[in-house]
Amino acid sequence: MVDIIAPVLANHQVGPRLYLMTLSAPVIASNIKPGQFVHMQIPGMEGHILRRPFSVYAANASEGTIEILYQVVGFGSDRMTRLTADDGTAPKLIGPVGHGWAAPEKCERALLVGGGVGAAPLFLLFEQLVAAGVDVTVVLGAQTEAALVCRERYARVLSTAGCCAENAPLCATDDGTFGRSGFCTSLVDDAIIEANASGKPFDYLAVCGPEPLMKIVSGQAAEANIPCQISMEKRMACGVGACLSCVVETVNGKKRSCVDGPVFDAQEVAW
Amino acid sequence: MVARTPRETSVNLSVNLGGLAMKNPVTTASGTFAAGMEYSDFVDVSALGAVTTKGVSLNGWEGNASPRIAEVPSGMLNSIGLQNPGVAHLKSEELPWLRGQGATTIVNVSGHSFDEYVQVIEALEEAPVDAYEVNISCPNVDAGGMTLGTHVPSVEKVVSLCREATSRPLIVKLTPNVTDITEIARAAEASGADAISLINTLLGMAIDAKRRRPVLARVVGGFSGPAVKPVALRMVWQCSKAVSVPILGMGGITTGTDAVEFMLAGATAVAVGTANFMNPQATVDVIDGIIDYCEKQGVNDVNDLIGALEC
Repeated sequence: MVDIIAPVLANHQVGPRLYLMTLSAPVIASNIKPGQFVHMQIPGMEGHILRRPFSVYAANASEGTIEILYQVVGFGSDRMTRLTADDGTAPKLIGPVGHGWAAPEKCERALLVGGGVGAAPLFLLFEQLVAAGVDVTVVLGAQTEAALVCRERYARVLSTAGCCAENAPLCATDDGTFGRSGFCTSLVDDAIIEANASGKPFDYLAVCGPEPLMKIVSGQAAEANIPCQISMEKRMACGVGACLSCVVETVNGKKRSCVDGPVFDAQEVAW
Repeated sequence: MVARTPRETSVNLSVNLGGLAMKNPVTTASGTFAAGMEYSDFVDVSALGAVTTKGVSLNGWEGNASPRIAEVPSGMLNSIGLQNPGVAHLKSEELPWLRGQGATTIVNVSGHSFDEYVQVIEALEEAPVDAYEVNISCPNVDAGGMTLGTHVPSVEKVVSLCREATSRPLIVKLTPNVTDITEIARAAEASGADAISLINTLLGMAIDAKRRRPVLARVVGGFSGPAVKPVALRMVWQCSKAVSVPILGMGGITTGTDAVEFMLAGATAVAVGTANFMNPQATVDVIDGIIDYCEKQGVNDVNDLIGALEC
């Protein structure tokens, strides 16, 4: 892990309350593994003393950049929206932090399920799996079409990836403005049934999003006997494993979401 | 990343905290630094005056339900509940690591009963420990569930029992949640404490108005961070007038200047706590800041700062 100053290169709105920030962070960009995060000190809000954890959406090792997709939920994320490339302030980042995604070694067919901004922490895993020739199906859910901000990026890769049966992400929106109307969990059911019928069932499922979604999808995976991982987001202080603020209840006792996670095997979590 | 050490200086930084020799006046506040391993990418733990480990009990505690923390203006609340895996784990894992790093080690001792404090110390007497810090802010079953550190006879009893159990430097960590902290400080000194440390966290609370619920699962929690510094300084200053044992001062220290203020108020050494969460290199930054202050002010020996407040 390093603690570095990471200048903001770009920061703009991409959807309702959704923003994409590009930071210069060469050491992190070349070392980040899918599912790991950075712990950010946002400049200009010194009265708010804690750092905020953000999953890394995309990384470009040759350019030394990382991208973070974030949703405005409180003071910190609101303050983040006002950071610009030329305002002379730069966030500090601890990273890369945590245990990321770990698909089974002989994974042949994977299902990735992203709810809301949970689509972002799956993207590096998605790229890794596609590069390894895994047949990946992507399910994305959001409240409305404008919030499906990761869809195009997934679609771009899927449309050219020879290894994937689906050439676009399967989408659901709560308001029916794009894809299936309702929650994305019904798409998960359908995808599992179809994969089983095709004779090439999923052998890995990764889900990231609101906890209730991850709980339901974990159940779907367990029922279909698919190894499943989830990414837990808890309130954090230190971000390095010392303070025990972010503990997750697991069947093996309390674990720290920052360094023991954020990715856990779904069966390990005591839901 | 290369673990940082403080910069070179000709200023004498070494202090003696009730028999504990420290190479500089800066340690970590218990519970904010684990046993240092988690911070070893950022700071060289052997370069600190000491590492104070997270509170340890005899058989380990599960800790409290989540949410365990809340951010509040210039500070935070925590109700971790002294989650720890027990003294055997500390002995087998963390203490050998700290010794291997060459760190000076203060073990923070917790207990839910008078006996438990003694048992923890007895379990550690053969282990590589340089001093004990007794956390008297735990709720105690022998004291009817109340916090030991708020009740003079309970303080006298637990400190006396710990004193009998060890000849190592014994630091007693005081809770600020009392009417008169000097009364508690005097009781600790009279019962055999070699030093006192203060302040532990202030009891606080945060409310989510929209949900009409407390932010913390346990409703109340310990308030720490820069916001508590004025309270901590006041209490260190009061205690320095009340007792003659040295003081380990803490409460919101994030910079070298903060540390110097505590020393001027009467502290012999200081602990960096919540600042570790803000900045993983905070401990070394504080040491460097003390060096800067001394060099600029022409102070050749950091001991000259102790109690040097002019008032």
